[in-house]
Amino acid sequence: MENDIPLRQFMQPGKTNSEDRLNFVRFWAQYVKTHSDEEWSKQQNIVIDAQYLQLRKALDSLS
Amino acid sequence: MHYDPQKKEIFLDRSLNTLDEFVLKFITILARYVPYTIISGYVSIILGRARATEDIDLLIPKITFDLFKPLYEDLQQQGFWCLNAEDVQEVFSYFRDGYSVRFALRDTTIPNFEVKFPRTLGEKESFQDTIKIHLSQNDIVLCSLESHVAFKKYFLQSEKDIEDAAYVEELFKNQLDEHKINKYRQLIETNGK
Repeated sequence: MENDIPLRQFMQPGKTNSEDRLNFVRFWAQYVKTHSDEEWSKQQNIVIDAQYLQLRKALDSLS
Repeated sequence: MHYDPQKKEIFLDRSLNTLDEFVLKFITILARYVPYTIISGYVSIILGRARATEDIDLLIPKITFDLFKPLYEDLQQQGFWCLNAEDVQEVFSYFRDGYSVRFALRDTTIPNFEVKFPRTLGEKESFQDTIKIHLSQNDIVLCSLESHVAFKKYFLQSEKDIEDAAYVEELFKNQLDEHKINKYRQLIETNGK
């Protein structure tokens, strides 16, 4: 990742939160394009699985 | 990831997450009975967009009660429940009357599938205009990337939707059919979703 110099042009800080988010979305799309499916999907899975795990815990605590 | 626009196929060698496994479980049952097309957020997510979702939107063709009943019973036997009703006739009546019907795994509510018959011209087009994702575990049928981008960008238009569209546009830059996106845009502007 540290050697992914071409990617850095896509991750300019945004002037607003919306712009910053959109910059990251495009940056991440470039990352997905330039890395193996296995590599990016493992990172994506951390985000998605963590959200469902958190949600499941919250729902369990209610029941 | 490899996209072949001519064959309308994407080959994806990704590892699966909780959401993907939920989707595969549901569509494996569904595909035994009816064709389907996944639309909206999950289209971006399966292709790598780093966000979760509460629901997966899915279109199925208008079917008769006789075809729906065994599908519903199979879903129940495989651990799904309907969030809207339990009685099969009542569930079918929601479909017939143009409502979306939600299914989740028993003892859970999220994530869930939001299933409906195509109602509008846009939905009817999206249902027919599909691409297939080949995973090592199974195939998944999605609406075309152009349909996805157009509905996110020109109809839904929330911040999340704009980001979903931007993600797909960036990922498939120079591979999307701009003419088709504009066709969907005109359809949306003329007829709504």
